[in-house]
Amino acid sequence: MLLVTACPFVPIRIALPRCPSDRPVCMIPAATDQSDDAERGREQARLLAAMARGDKSALARLYDSLSGPLYSLAFRVTNNTADAQDIVQDVFLQMWHKASTYDTGRGSVFGWATTLTRNRAIDRIRLRKRRTEILAESGTDLQPAPFPGEQDSAASLWVQEKAGAVQLALAQLAPDQKQAIELAFFGGLTQAQIATQFNEPLGTIKARIRRGLLKLRETLPARL
Amino acid sequence: MITEHQDELATLHALGLLEGAEKNAFETELAANAELRALTASLGETSAAISLAAPQVVPPAALKARLLAAVDERPEAKILNFPLLNLAPWALVATLAIAATWLGTQYITLRKENANLRSERQLAEVAYKLSQNQLAERSLLAESMINDLGNKLRHNEDLARLKVTALASLAGNTKEAQVIAVWDPEQQTGLLTMEKLPAIADTQDYQIWIVDPAYKNPVNGGVFHISADGKVALAFKPDQPVAQVAAFAISLEKKGGVPKAEGPIVLLGK
Repeated sequence: MLLVTACPFVPIRIALPRCPSDRPVCMIPAATDQSDDAERGREQARLLAAMARGDKSALARLYDSLSGPLYSLAFRVTNNTADAQDIVQDVFLQMWHKASTYDTGRGSVFGWATTLTRNRAIDRIRLRKRRTEILAESGTDLQPAPFPGEQDSAASLWVQEKAGAVQLALAQLAPDQKQAIELAFFGGLTQAQIATQFNEPLGTIKARIRRGLLKLRETLPARL
Repeated sequence: MITEHQDELATLHALGLLEGAEKNAFETELAANAELRALTASLGETSAAISLAAPQVVPPAALKARLLAAVDERPEAKILNFPLLNLAPWALVATLAIAATWLGTQYITLRKENANLRSERQLAEVAYKLSQNQLAERSLLAESMINDLGNKLRHNEDLARLKVTALASLAGNTKEAQVIAVWDPEQQTGLLTMEKLPAIADTQDYQIWIVDPAYKNPVNGGVFHISADGKVALAFKPDQPVAQVAAFAISLEKKGGVPKAEGPIVLLGK
């Protein structure tokens, strides 16, 4: 972890990716430009503020910025395009209506939008009671689709870059840590269900998740 | 200072793995612990980043248009989702201002009404006093009228009650005499007016007699003497109670009168 100063008053934390402990040598993407990330976060906050004032063009721009990762998340959890579309639309509508309640001190716009999307998606799969089947159907076999006609957009490039960083960071986790976190995050399983899945004590699962997420936190940038 | 347990709970919370009482307890602790709050927020960002590990899928182009159309369809939702809590202080101030204005208006109105009521009360008191005075005056007047009426009635009764009798001359020297006797049976008194009654010697007196059937002899009504002009008006009272006057008589008796008529009867009236 390094601390550099982009301006005399604002220290920015930079996380350097590391190789998994079991692999002495690995490919590490180029270090993320933290100033760009911070500026992107601020721009999204500005768009949300404009939405709070009723600026519909701000909503369109925020959609351009976040719809890809949010839709991908919704689809990853539900494995259903209609559900994913409904969820993304609902999330953006909720952000449109609740924009004035957003507090920058409680996290990034991306974090807020992701939480809303994930919660809605998990609610859907819990309603359908097909969690296990969906996990079996999707998971690692799902092939990412390209961004047709948008490969050169700033948003898609940013997502691709960050997705690579996150996938690499997850890859650095121990397999059982990675799997436990993915079951919780994408599968919406409870602690007890994960413990059952692994056939291990609950305390072990909690400790495993804790260690895995803390390691991810050290590896990933503070805010995407 | 974050404990290992808090660290674990923050991790589970960031991944949405806390439920029920455990979640509530942690969020209560979170509200009171800034350091724990910062850690949880940081872990929340890390958790959100995991979403980027999902295979990237392109949302359909129509979704954006659908979203923007949905925003247009429900403009009123902006109003519904307005942060009312942010307006609460202003609403409170506005409410207080309205309430103060209303109370002020009510105060002025009530004050005016109070002044009007006071004036009306004062006027009513004056009117009451006037009425009382008028009533008292009328009472006095009525009392006076009643008294007058009573007096008149009594007078009429008196007149009705009185027995007036003209006495006729029985002697030759009293032909021109005019004598009237008025008798009040209630008071047992009488009045005698006489003119042109002949004068008599100093050794004699006229004596009045009241004839009452209840007595064997006429009742003595007293004596009198006539001066030279022959005019006299005198009150008389019998020396015994008289129940019914049958006649008045005047006799000529010796000086000082007699208990029982002895002399000649000079005047008689029934």
